[in-house]
Amino acid sequence: MPLILNGLPPLHWALAGIGIAGVTLALLFVGSRRFGVSTGLEDVCSLVMRVPYFQRGAVVSGRSWRLPLLAGLVIGGFLSAAAGGGWEPTWDLGVFDRAVGLGPSGKLAWMFGAGLCIGFGTRLAGGCTSGHGIFGLANFEMPSLITTISFMLAGIATTHIVYRLVFPLAGGW
Amino acid sequence: MTLLYLALGIVLGFVLSRSGAADYDYIQAMFLFENAQLYGILGTAVALTAPGIWLIKRRGRTLLGRRVEIELKALHRGNVAGGVLFGIGWSLAGMCPGPILVNIGEGKLYALAALAGALTGAGAFGAVYQRLQRPFRLPALKVGTGEG
Repeated sequence: MPLILNGLPPLHWALAGIGIAGVTLALLFVGSRRFGVSTGLEDVCSLVMRVPYFQRGAVVSGRSWRLPLLAGLVIGGFLSAAAGGGWEPTWDLGVFDRAVGLGPSGKLAWMFGAGLCIGFGTRLAGGCTSGHGIFGLANFEMPSLITTISFMLAGIATTHIVYRLVFPLAGGW
Repeated sequence: MTLLYLALGIVLGFVLSRSGAADYDYIQAMFLFENAQLYGILGTAVALTAPGIWLIKRRGRTLLGRRVEIELKALHRGNVAGGVLFGIGWSLAGMCPGPILVNIGEGKLYALAALAGALTGAGAFGAVYQRLQRPFRLPALKVGTGEG
């Protein structure tokens, strides 16, 4: 199955897993940092919101390493596109375009709604795929196991509702 | 150090971009059990990170000799409620927080709306934290729900 990004072939899964584990362990071994991306959302909020939750020491002190990491993710995506067939702005959304078929404004509304769930949900759960799913599971933490099971089951249910019931995929993948 | 974190982010962003972990179709295929790529990635990452964390904790020091401290996350009702909400969002967007940023870098314009939504959602959570503390048994304000 090709990637949406320029129809590129994906990296082997084992290689990608090694890369993610390598970055996770480098953060811990070099800086005693616990890998987690969704706390970065709090870091960004803390730059503009003055409510007590975002002015905690734990948030403010993490900004100096987490914000560069987040900026790197954007640059990494850019370099990946530029080195793999060229960078260009796109609305291409793969199977969504064939099954749901919303235009640009519909996609923006859909993605904003999904983003609300991601932002509120990850912070309520105390982490996302990185902090709970990778670091937390690898560190044998019970809250991470419970959270990971919760988001996997909810994702499985939601995708089945969207692509099996509401917008069934004609002819499959 | 800032440059190091930036470099690690770039490597991670490149890997996420090329692996399918930041690809809408791969996320849907994972949740429909039609493609095992992302299960393979997550499984490999956890299987390698676990012994790595164990070794680093046993050493007890970072590369530069600082004490290794891993702050554990609290267990509370938000783990299930927040996890479910996040899972719905992950499926709908086809992106979790890291890949939102990767997709923006790739030039996928709709990812900007996902980021705006995620920041609004996180901001709303912070604004109502004290009201959620009791019903969800959340930790004290200064602790928060944890890094991750």
